[in-house]
Amino acid sequence: MAASERENPSSHRLRLVNDEILVARAVDGDTAAFETLVQRHGPLMRAYTSRMVGSRTEADDVVQEAFIVAWRQLPTLRNGGSVKSWLMRIASRQALAHIRRRPTDAALPPREVPVPTDTHPENVAVRNAELRALSVALDKLPEDQRQCWLLREIAELSYNEMAEELHLSPATVRGKLARARTNITAQMDGWR
Amino acid sequence: MNEPEPTLECGKTVEELGDYLAADRTPYDPTIETCPVCLNELRALARVSRLSGDLLAQDAATLPAPPDTWLQAIMHNIHREMRAGRDLPLRHPDPRVRITVTEGAVLALIRAAADDLDGLIVGKCELLGDADRPGASVDVHLTASVRWGRPIPELSTALRDVVSTALGRHTELDIAAVDVTIEDLHGYVATKEVR
Repeated sequence: MAASERENPSSHRLRLVNDEILVARAVDGDTAAFETLVQRHGPLMRAYTSRMVGSRTEADDVVQEAFIVAWRQLPTLRNGGSVKSWLMRIASRQALAHIRRRPTDAALPPREVPVPTDTHPENVAVRNAELRALSVALDKLPEDQRQCWLLREIAELSYNEMAEELHLSPATVRGKLARARTNITAQMDGWR
Repeated sequence: MNEPEPTLECGKTVEELGDYLAADRTPYDPTIETCPVCLNELRALARVSRLSGDLLAQDAATLPAPPDTWLQAIMHNIHREMRAGRDLPLRHPDPRVRITVTEGAVLALIRAAADDLDGLIVGKCELLGDADRPGASVDVHLTASVRWGRPIPELSTALRDVVSTALGRHTELDIAAVDVTIEDLHGYVATKEVR
């Protein structure tokens, strides 16, 4: 029964529905619904992972792996409405595993993280400058602090979840996060 | 790991303030809420936290699209791991011949039939009962989202009809009931500006 081919014409309609419907369909085997989830959440996952691993090309590989893992594990997701944070957690795990696989003596790839560009009207110029300053501040953080910051502020993991992903104690994670916060707010002081 | 904890001049640590902020400043802590140093730090922390979300949203919006092969590779991989589900029996005059259709194919058939309806998108499909036993009666449970402004009762009835027809035509399942739950509405476009 080649019903799945018939689903493709409807994929533009799938963009209209909420995550819960898409997850339910994907759990039932609808690859078009899963593709819509990739298109909906892929951009933030790519941006987040780029900041995490410091390379867009590597991030794209990591996010690809994350989606393949997600397809396999999707039937275990209880609440389809929380798929975004669930995907961000998988992306976090894949990114950290990717970083751990790097040979420790190898030079890190040159960081090629996006610097926000100032192509917007003047009334948002200040805001863009703020974002650029934060981008630079994040980039200057030691890698472990940057990971903590991203896991907490972007992937919105709890201390315990962060500890689990980083293979550290929750107390160590809190300490690193506090130092990351202090460093970033200090860097951003001119913008207070 | 013995670097000193970042501490403010009033004695509070950045950890404490971070926790307090993460808990939405509850329960109310007067030692923080009346301390100018803490309040200043809380403001700064809240601001960089909000900016971080904005920065990543901007990254995501301005990131160059990945090459087409990026999505193709994901889809190629997941197509190799299709979800077949149970094997559902089909009758054959020759008792030595065993024909089955996978549950996954039947669910795809239900979705395809439902997707022909304008204004409704089906979500979860479930075949409840011993669908893998010949002759067993089966209940079909469906969830769906209806497009804003379309009549829910008519579309629910139409959905039950197309699904029953498709299953009757293409499978030998003994369908006792098709239950439909409309879980969501989609495509709402606000016509008034939110103040």
